[in-house]
Amino acid sequence: MSTAASLHQSRKRKNAVMMALCVIAAGIGLAWLALILGALLYKGLTGVSLSVFTEMTPPPGDAGGLLNAIYGSIVMTIIGVVVGTPIGVLAGTYMAEYGRFSRLTTVVRFINDILLSAPSIIVGLFVYELMVRPMGHFSAIAGAVSLSILVIPVVVRTTEDMLNLVPNALREAGTAIGAPRWVVIRSVAYRAALSGIVTGILLAIARISGETAPLLFTALNNQFWSSNLNAPMASLPVTIFQFALSPYEEWQQLAWTGALIITLTVLGLSIIARSLTGRREDR
Amino acid sequence: MKPMLSTDLNVAATTVEKVKIEVKNLNFYYGQSKALKDINLSLPERSVTAFIGPSGCGKSTLLRVMNRIYELYPKQSAEGQVLLDGKNILDRSQDLNLLRTKIGMVFQKPTPFPMSIYENIAFGVRLYEKLSKAEMDSRVEQALKRAALWNEVKDKLNASGLSLSGGQQQRLCIARTVAVKPEVILLDEPASALDPLSTAKIEELIDELQADYTIVIVTHNMQQAARVSRQTAFMYLGELVEFDRTEKIFTSPREKRTQDYITGRFG
Repeated sequence: MSTAASLHQSRKRKNAVMMALCVIAAGIGLAWLALILGALLYKGLTGVSLSVFTEMTPPPGDAGGLLNAIYGSIVMTIIGVVVGTPIGVLAGTYMAEYGRFSRLTTVVRFINDILLSAPSIIVGLFVYELMVRPMGHFSAIAGAVSLSILVIPVVVRTTEDMLNLVPNALREAGTAIGAPRWVVIRSVAYRAALSGIVTGILLAIARISGETAPLLFTALNNQFWSSNLNAPMASLPVTIFQFALSPYEEWQQLAWTGALIITLTVLGLSIIARSLTGRREDR
Repeated sequence: MKPMLSTDLNVAATTVEKVKIEVKNLNFYYGQSKALKDINLSLPERSVTAFIGPSGCGKSTLLRVMNRIYELYPKQSAEGQVLLDGKNILDRSQDLNLLRTKIGMVFQKPTPFPMSIYENIAFGVRLYEKLSKAEMDSRVEQALKRAALWNEVKDKLNASGLSLSGGQQQRLCIARTVAVKPEVILLDEPASALDPLSTAKIEELIDELQADYTIVIVTHNMQQAARVSRQTAFMYLGELVEFDRTEKIFTSPREKRTQDYITGRFG
């Protein structure tokens, strides 16, 4: 009786200790996040004005904006997504549908997982060797290609996972009504997995919109307005990198503001992605 | 027209009837393991045949051979013959998509497609027929009436098929199958996931559908087999033990194993 009671007491103590440790760990994680967001909002918001979105990056000591960097980021992100998404979706479709039982799928999945966690600077170097050196100069298109290489593994992974969640019974039902395989995939499987696949694409956009390393080796940067894809182009991450390291106050302020813009964009995309998956689970 | 059933288990027919599906020396393998052993039976046209037996006896497998849906998966193979109107559907030259428009299938769990009620039905029709809007509307209406679902959904044809109750979803699946005008309908435990009321509706429906279709139903529920079918096949461990008129199977089976299963001594 007394041993049972003391055992119970010691279990309760252990439970309290474990729970306290977990709460502290979660608190530390959250506190850092809150500090970063707080600093970003505090320092970034003061620099937000219309001129940030209408003026070019200034020379040192002058006032200016981030228009060319924002434009460059949007252009390269769009091209990266437009190039990377179809490849990713089709590869994921092969793995989850046509090649579900094939050995090739296992190999591709393994390689894709490596690519998924590969440091992005390696992708930058790869595209540098592949495009920048042969072309003889940095260019926006090389930047977009390096971003698309980062998009592919994310989209492959989510597409495969989401299609694998579609119950086989649904595929059998489509097949049993006489629909050819590609119609079953297009009209039944894609439709059932749509919100998940779109979520994957949004997460891929969120991932590449903050990438700096692959752009340093490919698109480099540009102080001026340029819409030429065959020339160096500015981007928010690289501009932040350059301005934050500079000794000039105006540049540092713009770096904070740029960082805030990227963070809010990624936050917005994550919220949209979240709500899309949430809606699917409700059903 | 063949005058009589010709297999050794042909007692099913008491009158002269056309054979719709004839299974001859059928063996089925999942990889190395043999799931069906030398099955022979004949299914008469426009009547309901039930497959009963304990779990794993091969009744669903036999059903899945009839529209070759098993071919979606690797390492599953069938040997022997399954004749539909005298033509072997296991033949390599058989077009699978066409076969499946002739032999429809309804599954254990309701499987509405992720689209509207209307589209759920129009989807299959559109694959093989070009209909005007008015023709398609009437085809959808007919199919839903046939499945006794029209009155419940006529005001919300654009609602998602997934918004219906389980029993309604299953009737939607039957409507979808009927809409492509098949000749045979395979039902794989169509009511096992439904409540008694929905089950009664499905059974009523099966009874009506046999006027136009050859129906094969796999069921765990012996009372259901007794209620809806005209002939019953009892299967055990991959073998067809007995195939006869339903009342014969349930009142005076020839085989002791059938007797034991019917009376609940195993299974």
